[in-house]
Amino acid sequence: MSTALAPASSPFAFARPYLAFARTSFLNLLAYRARYFVGILTYFFNATVWYYIWRALFHEKGDGATLGGFTFPQMLTYVATGWALRSFYFNEVDRELASQVREGRLAMTLIKPVDIQAMTLSQALGESAFRLVLFTVPIGALLALVYPVLPPASPAAFGLFLLSGLLSALLVGAINFCVGLVAIRTTSILGVLRAKYLVLELLSGLLVPVAFFPEPARKILVWLPFLHMNDTPGRIWLGLATGADAARALALQAGWTVALLLLGRVLWNATARRIEVQGG
Amino acid sequence: MSEPAVRVRDLVKTFEVTRKSPGLAGALKGLFRSERTTLTAVDHVSFDLDRGEMVGYIGPNGAGKSTTIKMLTGILTPTSGDVTALGLVPWRDRRAYTKSIGVVFGQRTQLWWDIAVVESFRLLREIYGVSEADYARRMKVFDDLLDVGRLLPQPVRKLSLGERMRCDLAASLLHEPTLLFLDEPTIGLDVVAKANVRSFLKEANKLLSTTVILTTHDLDDIEELCERVVLIDRGQILWDGSLRGLRDRHLPEARIRFDLNPIPAGDPAELSVGPWRAARLSQGRYQIVVDKREVGTADVLREVVRDLPVLDLAVGEPDIEEVVARIYRENAALRRPGAEALPEGGAPGAVAHRGVRRG
Repeated sequence: MSTALAPASSPFAFARPYLAFARTSFLNLLAYRARYFVGILTYFFNATVWYYIWRALFHEKGDGATLGGFTFPQMLTYVATGWALRSFYFNEVDRELASQVREGRLAMTLIKPVDIQAMTLSQALGESAFRLVLFTVPIGALLALVYPVLPPASPAAFGLFLLSGLLSALLVGAINFCVGLVAIRTTSILGVLRAKYLVLELLSGLLVPVAFFPEPARKILVWLPFLHMNDTPGRIWLGLATGADAARALALQAGWTVALLLLGRVLWNATARRIEVQGG
Repeated sequence: MSEPAVRVRDLVKTFEVTRKSPGLAGALKGLFRSERTTLTAVDHVSFDLDRGEMVGYIGPNGAGKSTTIKMLTGILTPTSGDVTALGLVPWRDRRAYTKSIGVVFGQRTQLWWDIAVVESFRLLREIYGVSEADYARRMKVFDDLLDVGRLLPQPVRKLSLGERMRCDLAASLLHEPTLLFLDEPTIGLDVVAKANVRSFLKEANKLLSTTVILTTHDLDDIEELCERVVLIDRGQILWDGSLRGLRDRHLPEARIRFDLNPIPAGDPAELSVGPWRAARLSQGRYQIVVDKREVGTADVLREVVRDLPVLDLAVGEPDIEEVVARIYRENAALRRPGAEALPEGGAPGAVAHRGVRRG
């Protein structure tokens, strides 16, 4: 009597543990749902602050003015979709991974026949699924009710926006896996993570669209993965990137996601050997 | 005869640690230059585990038990040496290997803390690809033996330590592993919970012929569960064999304890029984310690009963704790500079001191 065999009938049998990880992660967050109701307000306030900042800036210029190629309604919509997106793609797998290593809890994961990166990513997606239901949808609805947010430029733009948003979650998951592994090697995990938040909020285009960056910075930025977190889906919603432009942006976004997943694997292989699980 | 389930050869694990000098000056010095020392946690350890065997792996704190287990489970990569377990190299073939092992770290849990226990089991079912039918059948067995059924809807954080341990044990066996590692599975449990866990382990070992390696500080676990013990101190194996053999070799004593009625006149602190001396334990109660290498226990008994007005009598052996404490002391004495040779019965492995203790 030995190990029971997995029902190998489905070619997707390999994915089942990871779906289960996503589901468990979802349930785990649900246990703390009360904590998240406050979060809805936090996102709403953030979007509101930026609404008034941009309103003041556009007011200076007079009615119908454009800034960086954005009209005021477009800018407001960019802000609203940006914060709604952030409420979806945000995850804390980097902190979780680092604390697992620090506290020696990673041992309990290493004794399972699972791929650590795939597991981390599944948990990130589980977290995003949870946030979609508890954050993104209510926040999006609230913002659309209170402010004159523009609808998506076209049904196609909306479809591409959803696709791009999903890629954002994967991209952030891939980035955070790398950040978590790097943070382990430093003495200040929280310091690294805090720096990451600041850098990402700026470089993703969440705070200010990429179009507003000075020319040299913009030239560099378009060759980095970060603007695909916010700027790409935001411009697709508004119809500022359509057709070949949109396809190119999505391809870059997907390409970066794959590249960062590969980087994560390399980092993991380099780190796994060094992880000396605490406690003896 | 099939090859052993686990084959360990010359396993070594060293850790680099930074020595911190004390005080402010030391801290400043540490900014520029850190002294690094190498600690040897596991020092050329070799043994085999046969299939279906249940082996106790014991040693004091920092002896290298957990470090060995972590290498055998694929968590740590050794500095040198070989391990072949179920035909695989644990740290290199981690994902293939971990499919057929179960692990319980008594001080940690593999269950998700904030959600119902059953959700962790469902996750494990998917991880190991256990079929619905097998899952139902095994959960039934776990419920019968460990009474986990009523715990399933509760979040882990609400369980008592004993309840949590029962769930963790069940979780580690859900995929019916061929090899089971238990690191302190009874730590912090009360007497009843310990008894439950032990009888379950016995049952599981019998039912599934799982190979079990058990580390513990509670030597009653070993006494009840394991035919064979491997004793490690400072990274080196001091004994590998039966518990009886360990006892006979290192503390071959029997203790004859008896109550006298009437109490001897003057309530003396010592009584003579033939050539032996009985020490007074309390009023009317005495004990003779018999060195089994010199005389048979029965011979002494006969004389006690013949010469004294014995009311009641019991024969005991030193418990294993005492035996092990004796071995540690001998081992420590051996390591002192200028120490005499180990008293008779010293383990052959305990000659050179290369290892440094690790906490």
